[in-house]
Amino acid sequence: MNASPAATTQPRVLPRSDEDPRELFARWQQHGDRAAREALVQRFMPLARSLARRYDRSSEPYEDLMQVASLGLLKALDRFDAERGPSFASFAIPTILGEMRRYFRDSGWSLHVPRGDKERALKVRDAQETFTNEKGHAPTVSQLAQYLELEPESVIDGLLAIQAYESLSLDAPRPGGEDDAITYGDTVGDEDHRYELIELDSTVVAVLDRLPAREREILRMRFVEELTQTQIAQRVGVSQMQVSRLLRRSLDQLRAMTQDSTPG
Amino acid sequence: MATPPNVRLDLPSRPENVLLVRESLTGLAEAAGIAGADLSDVRTAATEAANNVVLHAYPGGEGPMEVEIDIAEGFLSVCVRDHGVGLPREAELQDGEGIGLPVIRALTHRVDFMQTPGGGAEVRMEFATPGVRDLPAGEASEVDLLADLEGGENAVGVSIAPPALARPVLPRLLTVLAARAHFSTDRISDIVLLADALVAQGAGSLSGSELRLSVSVEPRVIGLHLGPLRSGRAGELLSDSEVQGLGPILAKLADAHEVLARDSHDVLTLQLQDRR
Repeated sequence: MNASPAATTQPRVLPRSDEDPRELFARWQQHGDRAAREALVQRFMPLARSLARRYDRSSEPYEDLMQVASLGLLKALDRFDAERGPSFASFAIPTILGEMRRYFRDSGWSLHVPRGDKERALKVRDAQETFTNEKGHAPTVSQLAQYLELEPESVIDGLLAIQAYESLSLDAPRPGGEDDAITYGDTVGDEDHRYELIELDSTVVAVLDRLPAREREILRMRFVEELTQTQIAQRVGVSQMQVSRLLRRSLDQLRAMTQDSTPG
Repeated sequence: MATPPNVRLDLPSRPENVLLVRESLTGLAEAAGIAGADLSDVRTAATEAANNVVLHAYPGGEGPMEVEIDIAEGFLSVCVRDHGVGLPREAELQDGEGIGLPVIRALTHRVDFMQTPGGGAEVRMEFATPGVRDLPAGEASEVDLLADLEGGENAVGVSIAPPALARPVLPRLLTVLAARAHFSTDRISDIVLLADALVAQGAGSLSGSELRLSVSVEPRVIGLHLGPLRSGRAGELLSDSEVQGLGPILAKLADAHEVLARDSHDVLTLQLQDRR
């Protein structure tokens, strides 16, 4: 699944085999001996598996990675020059990685938010809400990891994706809502009213007053009443993640407005 | 004055710190327009280099791991350095162990393995990603922020130059550290707001063009030291975060704050606790 720091602690990547690999390569490459090829696959599959596991792209299903890595291994078995080359592993690793990289490029990984990342972020968001509703307080990352059966690292990636990609929460239906047609976009109002607000005479109106009433109220609850984000979420009827997003955006806007109104 | 790397991390060589390397790299790389498969290559290679230090540099113990990330002249470069047993230290490939270095070779445009002066190893990786945008360079600060602070052994040191680059990097780093401190998602979100505020307000108060941060993590408590700030500026930094009607945002997000006045500069100390 995830490339974890412990991945390299695998004690042995290659199991012992009684047969000399050079002998096996000769039998396969020169005589087409399929049994020899099978023995080589057996012997070096752990190498392919290790590369698939450590390839840092947890959003791609491990099974798919493994399939591509195995394909790379087969290519390497065919092309390796046992007479001249150094070890097979040093030849096979670039070949297998090359195969994996080509696969990633072909499967559209250049998109800014890979689909797998987005799905995971939505899962983290939904689990966060479910947990909070059940327990009355927000979960830790390890609680979410346990709940979702993910590595903590994947949960952190999910949280970071939620922070980074605002559109994520806006176009996804609210989980567990009675009315599935309601999205966050409907509940938080228009995204871009700030632009017209900024045009107001900045010296006359206090910056806070130029934010929409809802955002102003959330800021007030967080910083004047000093409620937690979870408490605010319960009062306003949105998720804590949504409160977090609104707070972050509002504070950014306030800073931008303050800078605009400060000469120099 | 020497040009510092865009990001430098000073970390104890522990498995959990590898994630900090990856997240700093991700934030910086994305700011330079590196994404998707290219980003994945960079992260994988850097992870291997960092894991190598964690697992092999200090047999039976741990020691310092230094990571420098820089983007200039069309190249992203990552340098991972230790002061441990030096190279070579990985078992040869014939034994089937240690496939980290071949992975690094396969994923980088150029890689050099060197001895660290005074003992230890250094892996310098260079990635040629098409279309990478250069990031601005900062100037090194002469102040060693970490030198006179207690609790330094477990602390995570971060230097960012120029400080504007903290915007894509710092929220990620603090999210990871808050997760490690067993913060709830509620309070993790707060620390992201704090990071934003520090980035926005801090740059103008620094005594150079390098933002330095030392972060210590304990269960449900995070301590932050920020500097070096111009003398007298640490207090102003707090009051600058005041929003009319809301109060000083920075002070309210933190549970405690303190200004440490040094001879040549100020250090701002903030402490955050999880609340449940």
